[in-house]
Amino acid sequence: MAESDTIHEADRPLDKRLLRYVWRHTRREQIWILCVILASMPTYFMVLDLPVRIVNQPIQGVGFEQVGATKQFLEFTLSLPDFLGGGSWEVFSGFALERWPYLIALSCLFLSLVCINGLFKFYINTYKGRLGERMLRRMRYQLVDRVLRFPIGHFKRVKGSEVASMIKDEVEPFGEFIGDAFVQPVYLGGQALVAFIFIMNQSFWLGLIAMAIIGVQATLIPYLRRRVLVLGRMRQLTARLLSGRIGEIVEGISAVRVNDVSNYERAELSNRLGKIFFIRYELYQRKFFIKFLNNLLAQLTPFLFYVIGGYFAIRGTLNVGQLLGVINAYKDLPSPVNGLIMWDQKRLDINIKYAQIVEQFNVLGIAESWKQAPSDEPVAPLQGAIAVSNLNVTDDSGTSLVEDADFTLPLDSITAAIGPLGSGAGAMANTLAGLNAPSSGRVTLNGNHLNDLPESIRGRRFAYAGSESYLPQATFLDTLLYVNKHAPLRAEDTTRKHEELHPRSTGEAKASGNTLLDFTADWVDYEAMGINGPEEVYVKVREILELVEMDDTIYDLAMRQMLDLEADGDLCNSILSVRRALRERTGDTNLGKIIEVWDWEKYNEHATVAENLLFGTSYGSDELSDDNLAQNRHLQGVLAADGLDRVLFEMGMELAETALELFADLSPDNPFFDQLNFMTPEQLEAYPPILTRARESGFDGVDENDRHMLLQLPLGYIERRNRLKLVDEDIQSQILAARVRFHESLPADMKDRISVYDTETYNPYNSVQDNILFGRIAHGQASAVDQVRATIRELLLEQGLEDDIFRVGLQFDIGTGGKRLSENQRQRIILARALLKRSDLLIVNRGLNALDNRSQERLIEKIIERARGATGEKPFGILWVLANPQFASKFDQVMRFERQNLAEIGPPDELAEISPAYASLVGLMERVA
Amino acid sequence: MSKLKDEVDLLRSIPMFVNMPANKLKLLAFASDHVSYDAGEVLFEQGDDSDAAYVLISGFADVLVASEPGAQSNKVAELGPNSFVGDMGILCDIPRTATVIATKPLETLCIRKEHMLDMVKDSPALALAVLQELVQRLAKTTQDLSEARQEISELKGDRS
Repeated sequence: MAESDTIHEADRPLDKRLLRYVWRHTRREQIWILCVILASMPTYFMVLDLPVRIVNQPIQGVGFEQVGATKQFLEFTLSLPDFLGGGSWEVFSGFALERWPYLIALSCLFLSLVCINGLFKFYINTYKGRLGERMLRRMRYQLVDRVLRFPIGHFKRVKGSEVASMIKDEVEPFGEFIGDAFVQPVYLGGQALVAFIFIMNQSFWLGLIAMAIIGVQATLIPYLRRRVLVLGRMRQLTARLLSGRIGEIVEGISAVRVNDVSNYERAELSNRLGKIFFIRYELYQRKFFIKFLNNLLAQLTPFLFYVIGGYFAIRGTLNVGQLLGVINAYKDLPSPVNGLIMWDQKRLDINIKYAQIVEQFNVLGIAESWKQAPSDEPVAPLQGAIAVSNLNVTDDSGTSLVEDADFTLPLDSITAAIGPLGSGAGAMANTLAGLNAPSSGRVTLNGNHLNDLPESIRGRRFAYAGSESYLPQATFLDTLLYVNKHAPLRAEDTTRKHEELHPRSTGEAKASGNTLLDFTADWVDYEAMGINGPEEVYVKVREILELVEMDDTIYDLAMRQMLDLEADGDLCNSILSVRRALRERTGDTNLGKIIEVWDWEKYNEHATVAENLLFGTSYGSDELSDDNLAQNRHLQGVLAADGLDRVLFEMGMELAETALELFADLSPDNPFFDQLNFMTPEQLEAYPPILTRARESGFDGVDENDRHMLLQLPLGYIERRNRLKLVDEDIQSQILAARVRFHESLPADMKDRISVYDTETYNPYNSVQDNILFGRIAHGQASAVDQVRATIRELLLEQGLEDDIFRVGLQFDIGTGGKRLSENQRQRIILARALLKRSDLLIVNRGLNALDNRSQERLIEKIIERARGATGEKPFGILWVLANPQFASKFDQVMRFERQNLAEIGPPDELAEISPAYASLVGLMERVA
Repeated sequence: MSKLKDEVDLLRSIPMFVNMPANKLKLLAFASDHVSYDAGEVLFEQGDDSDAAYVLISGFADVLVASEPGAQSNKVAELGPNSFVGDMGILCDIPRTATVIATKPLETLCIRKEHMLDMVKDSPALALAVLQELVQRLAKTTQDLSEARQEISELKGDRS
């Protein structure tokens, strides 16, 4: 029942007015809180009333004129108004108290009423806060829910960062207001009314004065605030555009840098910020003027009270207790009145902001929510054929993408679509995948319109791989499994650690109309992948990654990972035994030539001077990091002991000279800079003056900073790589001696900043590969890297560690948008995970176009083989929009597109005979290759 | 003096680099890798993506070409010290047209594609030299082709 309600709710366009939206979702809570407020009113009135009684009766002695007179305390009488007969019933006769105890009793009563009043306020405020937060949560959820259902074409018009800014920031103030939406006017209005009635009760004239001032406030302030509202709206719009622009700059940063338009961007940004500044500045001016006026009016009233009330009091028409009470009550009057005015302004303001947001999210053609309804039932494999008749597709500007296409595509057929970019082949594939909506014509599957099917059918039985799908930041494994997460299927996801959930999380989710699907459950659909459970995932993933030839990449990534000694202690120990096995091998084969092992007694020519000095990896602080090493006092002392610092200083000068000679006239993004390992392009600019000063004053005369800069260079120098013959045997032995001194006199606080190379311990601050190698791969040896890799892999296999290493590689974080991977690798992953779905139809739209031709060909062949069921897998159909038509002959059927039209369709060998256009398209490419 | 100096001299001996400014040649040498091969090791294989060109410092290598993938390859040339090989592939961004294999222990200077291309873009003299080199090769290929055609037609003539 609840299910159908929420679906209904989700499909309703968002209310145009915020108050209606709020009322619809929080009616019950709002009424409850109103009741609480009403209940709090008598207490509030008594808090105002008691001081008058205290001053008049026990203090001034009214009613205590005779000695021994008493008053009834806590007497409670219900009386009818005069026109109803005026009868009265005494409910409680109270206690008779004398003057002094009576004062104490009344004061204590006052104190307890103040406490009760405070508790009421506390409850009301918390309740309102929770109400607002729930509504905020509901609203944000609904907005994102709508984004998930936007028609795909709509995303061409919206900027991600603008949507994000609307949902995150612009909705924020609503939360505050929603709590107050109905409560505030009643609460404040009630307070104001009580205070006002109280004043009127004490003195009619003073009441009139108060009313007059309130009247001025209520007319003048809204008038002044009108412009403030307009400004607020402008501020919101400009801020939203700003975040959109910044998003664009970040996304398009390469174009900015490549074309030297950063200053244009700066000017644009400054222009925008200027606009925002002036809007905000005017806003402040007006806001504070209004505040000033408000304060003035608020202070004017007491002034009048003192003058006029004092006059009445002196004349005796008003007693002092009453005057104090009026002034006291008035203290509480401006703030509720002000609050009321503010509330009304805020209501207007928020209504406008709300309307603006709603406008962005009430999009035409939004998918109905039942299409995305969660279903944990397996979807049966599809059979039959997709029939396309009279299909026309246009983009949002009305440009035709596909015209009058008619064809039948059996789901198990292996079809290629060819044609240049924009010919309609890609648009057709995207339409079948549900990414384009047909503007006319029919796309049916066994008689059902494809677009009318729930997304669970297309999403689970079709697989899609485009050339540029966005990969959110996640581990490699999660990226692959992402496409199989349709519904929470198993209670607990054992592969991930979750933070503890709040005990009321489900109840709160319900109260905010959020989905109740359990995020912490295991969502991966193992059956769909053809396996029984999480324990078989690695085998399956590995098989697919081998198919797309990514297994080596994963392996290499694993080699670069750092392991956590605590979490992977066993693996670390096993890696040490691989290291031992490798060392045994290096003894007798030519591997010894390729790997230069760390040896306390020997200088490693394939490592930097710094590595040779430290003989370990620094960690934990920057003190010993490559950039700061030259400034380290301890190292300086060690180097100075036998004049090695002078030698290195000379080396530094020579390196700086060489670098300047070679690189000075290159732009910082020149590829040659990759080869300059001891300096960054930015640093290069700093060296000419340093070099001049160093030449003039020499090692002893030059200032400390210059000396550090020059000492820095040789520390990054690698003899075998840079080949400048700077570190000869004498210097090597000097460095070795310095290494010993460095470690012998290492201060205690630096001992835990460096992990020394030791054959028998795992170094958690080095990569897996460095731990296995325990040395450096030699520079200048052909295929050294490949040989080392092959040997390590062989050893891992021998020791049964390959699977563990593979798992380590799958934990690699691919970065935002998968940017830590190459385009080529991203395309392979996208294809791999499409295959992992074991769909009935695999649609590929120019996927793999970043690969070289031979790899493309190999992968296409392997995937076609798999689709035919030759590998023992479930057979499936393929619709592949080829970036390179020459592979079309490998498919069973080819569709050729030309100028948005399906020109021909048929088996490739038939087409080759009858269609010269096809032959030339396929043949032409062959000649070029 | 450093090895780098020797490598600059070596580059200078290649016709294509004769007119390059000294600091550019030094940069090229600095950025290149000094790579050794044992006899029998392959520098690159026909059909691979081209990523680098090689200058032979010492040793010898064979150039092998197969008429189609998988076919038996034939030796078409032998390379000795001071030869420059693999340049066509990186300049024109085409797969390797031949396999090069070391026949004796080989010392090479390996120039990466992006560095070579950057040099060509930067230096008109080098671009012209590259052009001349390619045109010369084309002329030689054309001549070889016409000779081969003549031989074929003579052979055909003999038969008829």
